[in-house]
Amino acid sequence: MRSAPKSPGPHPGRGRAVRGLGHFGALAAPGLTLYVLFVLVPVSMTCYLSLTNQNPFNPPTRYVGTANYTRLAHDPDFLHSLRNTAVITAVVTVAANLGGLLVALLLDRAGRLYRALRGVFFVPVILSAVVVSVIWQALLTDDGLINSMLRTLGVDHPPGWLSDPDLALWSLAWIITWQVLGFCVVVYLAALQGVPQELHEAAALDGADALQRFRHVTWPMIAPALTINTVMLLITGFKVYDQVQVITNGGPGEGTTSTVSFDIVHTAFTDDHIGYASAMATVMLVLVALASVAALRLLQRREVTL
Amino acid sequence: MNHPALRRLGPALTATWLRPLVAVFVSAVFFLPLYLLLVNVFKPGDEIVPHPAALPLPPTLANITAVTSRPDRLFWYGLINSIEVTALATTAATVLSAMLGYYLARCAGRWATPLLVLLLCGLMVPPAVILTPITKVLNAVGLMTTVPGLVLVDIGYYVPFGVLVFMGFVRTVPVELEEAARLDGAGLLRTFWQVVFPLLRPATASVVVFLGVWIWNDFLNPLIILGPGTGTTVTVGVYRSIGEHQSDFGAVFAFMFLAVLPVLILYLAFQRQFVKGLTGGAGR
Amino acid sequence: MRKIALHGALTLVAAAVLAGCAVGGGATGPGAAGGRTTLTFLTFETPNLNASYWDAAIARASAKVPGVTIKKLVAPTVDRTAYAKQLDASGQLPDIMIAVKPDGFAQAGKLAPWTADELADYVVPKANPIAGKEYVLPYNTQPTPLVYYNKADFARAGISGPPSTYAQLVDDAKALKAKGINPFVVGGGGQDTWADMYPLIADVGTDVYAGHPSWLADRSAGRTTFADPLFVGAVRKVSALAAAGYIDPAGLSRSYADTEQAFRDDKGAMYPMGSWFAASADAKPPAFGVGVFAWPTDSGKLVVPAYTGGGLSVSSKAPDVALAKKWAAAFMEDKENLDASVKADGSIIAIKGYTPPSTMGPVYRATVDLYQQAVQRNGIVNAFTVESGDGSLPPGVVDKAALGMQDLINGKQTAEQFAAFLDRQWTQATQ
Repeated sequence: MRSAPKSPGPHPGRGRAVRGLGHFGALAAPGLTLYVLFVLVPVSMTCYLSLTNQNPFNPPTRYVGTANYTRLAHDPDFLHSLRNTAVITAVVTVAANLGGLLVALLLDRAGRLYRALRGVFFVPVILSAVVVSVIWQALLTDDGLINSMLRTLGVDHPPGWLSDPDLALWSLAWIITWQVLGFCVVVYLAALQGVPQELHEAAALDGADALQRFRHVTWPMIAPALTINTVMLLITGFKVYDQVQVITNGGPGEGTTSTVSFDIVHTAFTDDHIGYASAMATVMLVLVALASVAALRLLQRREVTL
Repeated sequence: MNHPALRRLGPALTATWLRPLVAVFVSAVFFLPLYLLLVNVFKPGDEIVPHPAALPLPPTLANITAVTSRPDRLFWYGLINSIEVTALATTAATVLSAMLGYYLARCAGRWATPLLVLLLCGLMVPPAVILTPITKVLNAVGLMTTVPGLVLVDIGYYVPFGVLVFMGFVRTVPVELEEAARLDGAGLLRTFWQVVFPLLRPATASVVVFLGVWIWNDFLNPLIILGPGTGTTVTVGVYRSIGEHQSDFGAVFAFMFLAVLPVLILYLAFQRQFVKGLTGGAGR
Repeated sequence: MRKIALHGALTLVAAAVLAGCAVGGGATGPGAAGGRTTLTFLTFETPNLNASYWDAAIARASAKVPGVTIKKLVAPTVDRTAYAKQLDASGQLPDIMIAVKPDGFAQAGKLAPWTADELADYVVPKANPIAGKEYVLPYNTQPTPLVYYNKADFARAGISGPPSTYAQLVDDAKALKAKGINPFVVGGGGQDTWADMYPLIADVGTDVYAGHPSWLADRSAGRTTFADPLFVGAVRKVSALAAAGYIDPAGLSRSYADTEQAFRDDKGAMYPMGSWFAASADAKPPAFGVGVFAWPTDSGKLVVPAYTGGGLSVSSKAPDVALAKKWAAAFMEDKENLDASVKADGSIIAIKGYTPPSTMGPVYRATVDLYQQAVQRNGIVNAFTVESGDGSLPPGVVDKAALGMQDLINGKQTAEQFAAFLDRQWTQATQ
C-alpha cells in the first residue's frame, strides 16, 4: 500500500531517462500490483472460464474448448448486443465531439455569464448514470413531459421515444450524449483557450475569414483535445449498462437496446451461464483492446502531422 | 464545416448581442432535465405529476427531511460509507497513479508504451465483466466485504485513468528541474515529492475530480464487494429509493439531490484547477 | 520536513485502509455471539412493502424466537432473485430470503427443504415441488391476472356487466373502442418489461393449461414445443387484441407503477393485473368504481391462473439452519404479519385457519370471492411464466418472453414467430 520506506539514495545517472529496478519498486510497483491483482488477474480468470461450461447451479464444471465461441458466433441475441453497443458508441462519440466543440466555440468568451453557462453543461457529468436515467425516463415516456409539450403544440401522435423499437436505441444514445457532452465542452474550451491570440490576429491580417481561421489556426491546436475526448467517449460507450437496465431493460422487443455489458450480466446472473457469459466478456475485451489501440494510433498520427 | 448555414453563422456569431442570446438559449434547453430534478425536490409529492414543470411555490423541504429522517437512516449510513470509500480510494489512487505516470514518463524507457497500452485496455473493461473473479481474489486474500477490499479494488481499477492524465502532464514538466534536484543529492522519491508532484497540481485536481465522481457514483462494486451486510453507499441508496417509491418522484428526486450534493461541492472546489490538468498534457 | 510529512500522510492512508475503519451501518459478521445468532434476511422494497413494513414484521417474528438477531438486507431493485444469485456468486448467499425463486438454488443443494410437518398448516403443501421437495413456504396465493375494470367506462360504453365468454370480452373491447375508450391497460416499460405479460398469462391459462395442466411439463420433457397449435392459438388471441387496437402500445413505455397510474387516470377501461392491485385499489380508491372478473374462456367456464408460494426460504449454509427455519416459520405464520401482508399486498393467505381482517375493502373481497368460486369449480390453473419448481421455464426465458411480447404487441412479431422465439430461447437457456 505505501511507497518504499526509504529513498533509493543518490542516483549517479544523468540524462533524460533515469532507469533502475529500485525506481520501479518505489514508483511503479504499488499501482501496478493493484492493477494486476484486481484487473489483469480477474480478466485472465474470465478468459479461462470462457473455455468452460461453468454454471453454479449445474455442476460439475467441464472444459469445453472453444464451444462457447462457436455458439456465440451464431447467437442472434449476442450479435444484436454487439451491434447496439457499436451504434451507441459510434453515435455518442461523434455527437458528443461535434456538439461539445460547437458549444465550446459558443462559450469561448470571458465573463461571468459564460463561466456560469459552462458550469451548467458540466453538471450532468458528475451525476450518476442512474440519476440521469430516471430523469430522462420521466421525460421520454409516452405520456411524459416532452410528449405532453408536443401535444399542446398540436402534434397528435408524438413519437414513442422509448416504446418504438426503431427509436429506443437512439433515445438511449441521446441520453448518454447529454450526460457526457459537458466533458467534451470543458476539454475543448481548455484547448481553445490555449490557442495564442497572436495566431488569430496574424491570420486575420492575411485576410482569412472566421471559418478559414478555425480550420487553419484553431483546429490543429485542438486536435489533442479530440484525442482525449474520443478515448473517454469510447470508454463510456463500451461500458453502457445502467441506462439500459433502468430505461429499457433491453427492450422494447427483441434485441433493440441490449448492450454487451447488459447481455453479460443477464447471461451470468439470470441465465446462470457463467462460462458462456465469460466468452462474451472475452470477445468484448478483445474488441475493446483493438478499438483503443486503433483509436490511439489514428488520432496520434493526426497530431503528428499538424 | 463547409456547410453554407455554418458559413453564415460564423459572422453572425460575431455580432455582440447574438452570441449571449444563443448561448443562454442553448444552455436553457440543455438545463431543462436538471431544472425538473431541482424544482420537484422542493414540491409536495402530489403536485409533481399534474404540474411537473411548475416552480415550487411555496417551496417545501418535506421531501428532503423525509429522506434525512428515515428511521433506517439509509441516507446517513450510506453517506458515511460513501465518504470513507471515496476519500480513501481517490487519495490513494491519485498518489499511486501519479507515481506510476511519472515512472512511465521518465524511467520506463522502451517499456513505457507497452505498459501504457496494457493499462489502457484495463480502462475500457466494463466493471460488471470482471466482478465475479474480483470477488474470488478478494475472498482469497480475506478482504471480501470490507472497506479496505473495496478501496483496493477501486485503486486497481482507476489507476489507468490517473496514469493517462499524469503521464501526459509530466512530459510538459521540464526535466532540468529534476536533474538540478538530483545534483543536489536528492533521491528519486524525494525529487518526485518535492519537485515534480507540486508541479502536477492541475493534473492532480482533474484526477481527483473524476475519480471522486466515479467512485462516488459507483453502484455495482459497493453493492457486491461491500455486500449488503456491511453497509450501503448513497448511490446504492438511490437505487433502493427508486424501488421503494417508484412514481413518487418527490421522494426519489430528493434522495438523488442529496446524493449529488457532495460531488457537486467537490467539483466546485477544484473547478478552476482541474480543467488545466486535463488538457495540460495534450494542449501543448 | 516536507518529505516526512508526505510519507506520513501516505502511511496514514495505508494504515487507515488496512485497518478498515468503522463502516456506517455495519454490524458484526454473521454467526453466534453471546448466545445470540445473527441471521441475514433478504427483502425487497416496493411502495406497498416499504422499509417500515419490513422492520415491523421482522421485529414481531424476532419477539417470538429468542436468541435470534436478524440483519435485514435489501435488494437494490425488485429483482431479488438476480441479486440473490449475485450474492451467491460472491459467497454471500443470505441465510433467509423472501419471495426468491428457488429454481437452481434448490437443485444445487443451497436451500434447506421444508418437511411435511413444517408444512402441515399450509393449504397447498405441494405448491412448487423440486424433485419432490418444497423450498419456499407457500403462504399466499396470487391470482395472476384477474381483470380489474372501470365501472364508469363500462357504463359509458353501454356494457351492463362483466363478460362471461371470450367473445363477449372482444365485443366489450369493441364497444369501448367505439366510444373512444382504450380497452386494455398493459404496461411493460423501463425496468418492468414483465408487466406486458398478463394478457398472455391469462390466455395460456384459459386455452392451454385449463385443458392440459401438464402442458409445460411436457414442454420441459421435450414432448411438445411452443409451436404446438394450442399454444400458438393462445398467443394469437393477444396479437389479435393488439392488432385491433385494443391494447395501447403506449403502455410499452410505462413502468409498472406508471401502468397502475394510467389505469387510475382512466387511460383504459380494463387492467389485467395480479390480485395485489386489489389492496392498492381499496387503500387509495380511484375516482371511479372498480370491478373485477376472470379473463373469460371461450366456453364460459371459470378459469383463474394463480401462483401459490411467495414465502421464505432458508439457506442450507445458514449458521443454524434449525433456528433459521424456526424464525422463518414464525415470521410467516404471525397473525399480524399476515394481516399486514393482506393489507399491503392483497395477499390471499394459504395458511389454514387464517381469516383476513374484517376491515378489508370491496375490491379485495370481490377478488377473494372470485378466487374461491374458481377453487370450488376446479378452475385454478398455473400462471404461465410465474410458476416455479419442476417443469417451469428455465431461468432467463421469462425475461426474454417479456421482450418478445413487446414485439407481438407492437405488431413486429406474429404469434408463430413469438412461439419460435420462445423455443429458441429455451434451447439457449438449457444448453
